[in-house]
Amino acid sequence: MPEPSRGLLLAGVGGQGVILASMIVADALVRAGYDVKQSEVHGMAQRGGSVFSHIRWGSNVDSPLVPTGSAEVLAAFEWAEAIRWVEYVRDGGAVVADIRTIVPPGSCTDTRSWVTRYPTIDTGLFTGRHLKTRLIDASATAADLGNARAANSVILGSVAAFLDIDDVHWEAAIASLVPQGTVEVNLAAFRAGRTVSDAAIPQAVPDPEGFSGPHQIEIRHDWCKGCDICSRFCPEFCLDVDIDGKLVVVNSDACTGCRLCEILCPDFAITIRPPLEPAVAAGSAEALRSDT
Amino acid sequence: MSDVKTYLREWAMPHVLCPGCAHGIVLRSFLESVDQLQLDRDKVAMVAGIGCSSRLIGYVDFCTLHGTHGRAPAFATGLKLARPELNVVVVTGDGDALAIGGNHLIHAARRNIDMTVLMLNNAIYGMTGGQAAPTTPEGAVASTTPRGNTEPNFDACKLLIGAGASHVARVLAVNPLEMTKIMADAMTHPGFSFIEVISDCPEYFGRYNKVGGGAEMLSWMAVRDEGITIPLASKKFVKTLPPSTPLPGMQTGVLHREIRPVYSGVRGGQ
Repeated sequence: MPEPSRGLLLAGVGGQGVILASMIVADALVRAGYDVKQSEVHGMAQRGGSVFSHIRWGSNVDSPLVPTGSAEVLAAFEWAEAIRWVEYVRDGGAVVADIRTIVPPGSCTDTRSWVTRYPTIDTGLFTGRHLKTRLIDASATAADLGNARAANSVILGSVAAFLDIDDVHWEAAIASLVPQGTVEVNLAAFRAGRTVSDAAIPQAVPDPEGFSGPHQIEIRHDWCKGCDICSRFCPEFCLDVDIDGKLVVVNSDACTGCRLCEILCPDFAITIRPPLEPAVAAGSAEALRSDT
Repeated sequence: MSDVKTYLREWAMPHVLCPGCAHGIVLRSFLESVDQLQLDRDKVAMVAGIGCSSRLIGYVDFCTLHGTHGRAPAFATGLKLARPELNVVVVTGDGDALAIGGNHLIHAARRNIDMTVLMLNNAIYGMTGGQAAPTTPEGAVASTTPRGNTEPNFDACKLLIGAGASHVARVLAVNPLEMTKIMADAMTHPGFSFIEVISDCPEYFGRYNKVGGGAEMLSWMAVRDEGITIPLASKKFVKTLPPSTPLPGMQTGVLHREIRPVYSGVRGGQ
């Protein structure tokens, strides 16, 4: 009975180098003498969509897909991706996660205060699973070395600490796959990733700045010439010019404070001021959503 | 962000420009860029000649100099040489800059005098009654070309690149945020900066060519394709076109930038 194959998952957001990192892992495993299968999904990658890659290796691998709850290591290049894929990791497995957050616009629940439902960084999510977690700030480490785009090599360095593959194979794989001229910085990033310590986790997201509620639209009627530019360009249809050529606010509740009318007014007649109500706190965003 | 209205001579407002004229948007963007750069308002000198665009300097709380028709770059040259610590900004129109003052403009560019020229291109002579200007696109109706202009128009940015301006850009008045950014960039650039702003003239161009008022002219100015703009910045005037038809237009954005010696008036000087 051959020993069962082992699995590794890489997950991130389009543009972070997930696919290149998975090619490097697969190449290093091949160099170490394993049978390797790899499968990736990169839908909407150019638009910041989710990108992930499964890798399985062993003496004989039949399928590239890692079953749920069996991965040895999860390498997450972004915080929400770590949470999304953590159930694939077996109990006692390892999670290497970048604490970088890339907030998708779709998680925004209030267009006025930009409250989002993005999860806060909380290691407590992993404690019940006996996971070995390492939260790093890979882009900062790579930027210190001179190229923030080598962040994926930093993450690979951290992953290598949990796998028993010789460093020779890793470094040969990196040198053969990264773009010309970046070999040195990527190797330095890989070595830094092996020794990098856990990053300081930022405090829970502070309350959103600014204010919520409708903005205050001030009109100087003695300067306004009723040219109609503001009302035609307002995306929320807040303004209108009445039959006498006078600018009126018809729907002040809908104003999101984008200031398009203010900056397009040729007569300096409009001023948008922040609303008077304080912003909705992040925690109450769900309540706000369920109310409506 | 502070309120740019503090840079206005509020007692002089409202300004004389017609309803829908985008020159006011350009003025606002300029004030935003001054605000971003945190310039001392006593160290900003605005120089203008004659025309609708040149009226703008009457409403700003900077040092202002109202010169003669087309000669604003010449006045500005003298001012910069006498008072090199000033940020000299010339506001001029397309007719003022390219027809009446064509020589002054190209020679200021040739000498690479450290100043910024904002040329507000509305493609027509607005103040004097809608005559065709050197920037009126081929085919457009003006009071002197009732059956459509038959002459080709100037590409002002190409002209200024040829004359030696070291920073040349073209922006659309409908895009004030980009305009602010490019203006701030141009004012910090050492040497002659030229910005052609595609503005509008709803009163003459819009009326004669049946395009509509200020709102219609601004939305009509939108970028049709990558770098191709319609139609005030185009070489040919075509009023209605199916969407996605590419036009022989002109590119927007920073078109040219180089660093070369700045003229200081002193032989062997900087």
